[in-house]
Amino acid sequence: MSEQTIPDVRGRGSRAPGGPSSAGRRRSLLRPLLVVALLVVLLVLPLYVEEFWLRTGFAVFGAIVGAIGLNLLVGTSGQLSLAHAFFLAVGAVSYTYVSGESGGLGTRAALRGLELPPVVGLVVGVLLAGLAGLLFSPVAARLRGIYLGVASLGLVFIGVHLLNTWEPVTGGFNGRSAPEFSLFGFTFGNSDPQLFVLGVPFREAERLWYLGLVLALAAYVFARNLLRSRPGRALQTLRDSEVAASVMGVNVQAYKARVFLVSSMYAGLSGVMYALSIGSIAPESFGLLLSIQFLAMIVLGGLGSVGGAALGAVFVTSLPLVFLQFADVLPLVSAPGEGGIAAGVAARFLYGLAIVLVILFEPGGLAGLAHRFRRRGRDPGGGDRPGPSPGPDDSPTSPVPSDRPARGSNST
Amino acid sequence: MTAADADGTRIRSDVPPVEVSHVSVRFGAIRALNDVSFTVAPGAIHAIIGPNGAGKSTLFNVLSGVYKAAEGEVRFGDARLDRMRPFQIAGVGVARAFQNIALSGAQTVAENLMLGRHHLTKAGFLSSGLRLPRATGEGRLHGARIREIAEFLDLGAKLHTPVGVLSYGDQKRVEVARALCIEPRLLLLDEPVAGMNAEETSRMAEAIREIRSALGISIILVEHDMGMVMSLADRVTVLDFGRLIADGTPAEVQRDPEVIRAYLGSGDEDNPADAVAHHPTEAPGSPS
Repeated sequence: MSEQTIPDVRGRGSRAPGGPSSAGRRRSLLRPLLVVALLVVLLVLPLYVEEFWLRTGFAVFGAIVGAIGLNLLVGTSGQLSLAHAFFLAVGAVSYTYVSGESGGLGTRAALRGLELPPVVGLVVGVLLAGLAGLLFSPVAARLRGIYLGVASLGLVFIGVHLLNTWEPVTGGFNGRSAPEFSLFGFTFGNSDPQLFVLGVPFREAERLWYLGLVLALAAYVFARNLLRSRPGRALQTLRDSEVAASVMGVNVQAYKARVFLVSSMYAGLSGVMYALSIGSIAPESFGLLLSIQFLAMIVLGGLGSVGGAALGAVFVTSLPLVFLQFADVLPLVSAPGEGGIAAGVAARFLYGLAIVLVILFEPGGLAGLAHRFRRRGRDPGGGDRPGPSPGPDDSPTSPVPSDRPARGSNST
Repeated sequence: MTAADADGTRIRSDVPPVEVSHVSVRFGAIRALNDVSFTVAPGAIHAIIGPNGAGKSTLFNVLSGVYKAAEGEVRFGDARLDRMRPFQIAGVGVARAFQNIALSGAQTVAENLMLGRHHLTKAGFLSSGLRLPRATGEGRLHGARIREIAEFLDLGAKLHTPVGVLSYGDQKRVEVARALCIEPRLLLLDEPVAGMNAEETSRMAEAIREIRSALGISIILVEHDMGMVMSLADRVTVLDFGRLIADGTPAEVQRDPEVIRAYLGSGDEDNPADAVAHHPTEAPGSPS
């Protein structure tokens, strides 16, 4: 029996992986070309666009880092966390404290700072956020899905309370300004040194743009590499079934703890960039709303997709800023203080609506949409392969982080 | 063991026996397993059968460390499986293929199989994220073996297909292939042909025979397909309501009055052994 069937199957097999079609070859060339084109555009953009767009860009780059970090945790590993704002706060406060100046006036107490170089502040910010994540990871390792979400909620409230009360470090209720970034004597401010590129003055916004671009790219590449290798496979499997992952040799608790650590370090870096972007830190910036915004980014972008997280971050972060900028031309939207809908509120309505639409029609998010579009381009005749998008039920990117009961409950 | 020798199979020298002794598992007041003891000889295909709710899956969960036994020991050579966590059990070469497919649907066949190499590889978060040479080299090294195992189970052409779009039969084979990628010394197969058609079933049976003869490892099999169990297994353990009611060669078990009673509810059929042997799917008239 098998003597008949096996050669038959092998025969089919030898045909299927045959050389890529010409369309496929064109596509494989197209992709790197697009990537290079996008990079070139991002690199030359500061020469052409206004400061507003560059500042928005830096805020977006910061959000991209944070969203990629949260997506590793929620999208890839199926662990819901609402504490992302807390880890951003740890990064932002650490940076401000380590690189900030002593002696400025807080609300009541004198501010303190270690006055170390900003690079040190950035690294310490990332490390301390990681440390905070590590301290919480024993909890993260033992909980799953929505339960971790609820447990992590507490961190946000602790964070806001500390920001309000730990005045020498955080500046208290009014916050404190974040020190300007500099790298080996090169400041990312408006002057010192004066810099002109092709006649265009490179001031703070231009310089920060490149800093943001480099950090966001590094965060992107690291996460992509991670997902395509051994730890990434283990994380995706433990999202789909913890029992299966552990039986296949994955130390589930250790991996949950580690991905939580990595995610909080991403958040720490994002927090430093957030502080640089706003130019100051204040308690209300790091509330639950920020955590929710990051969740909105990764749901919109597509859970589990690194590129999707980046797209979602672009959308959610830039929308309110763009609305604010164009409040006078957009219908119904107004500048603060006038009648009509405030820009921030309008943006929230819009991405709230977008989230509902995404969950209803494209659980894969923007990444899923892009994937579908690419596939249509690939085999217009509907090819012989079934569409690789699994149904919504078994979709890895199901909009709600999976919280199904483990198949064999007590997986120790 | 003797049956295996008769096939001309070379049993790997590092495959120890599996000794299950006096294992009990309780869920509240329910005893899912009650003082179960048996031994799996090295290189044997050992089937575990029993009506629904007999405790077969519980036993598998104990063997793979998912459940902890309330009492008793499970030894695999020097390893005390009952004291180890599931990922450690994989580390000593015990692999399990799940009955209800527990693959990662969005990942390709190759990626799912690579997970089986998890305990054989080392790349961590940092070296993977930075694509250090030791992480990428590892992937290449194990890729070849993955391909070999996939081809052995007729999955070579589907290596780069997401598992979620494969047919049910293919997914079942990916389950088995993934378990093989652990390079096991003991393979636990939980209903490997459940839901398969006759042709797929006979191909799977053939594959299991080949796995044993090519690798010389022990295989424990939970299966409802009696025809397959009786033709494949060297030894059969029968569970009913968490108790072990018979343990012997397929022929012995088929004649055992307790087994017949468990499967048919009473012992006064004309030729009950026949009924046990030829019911291919669920146990007929599981005790009501």
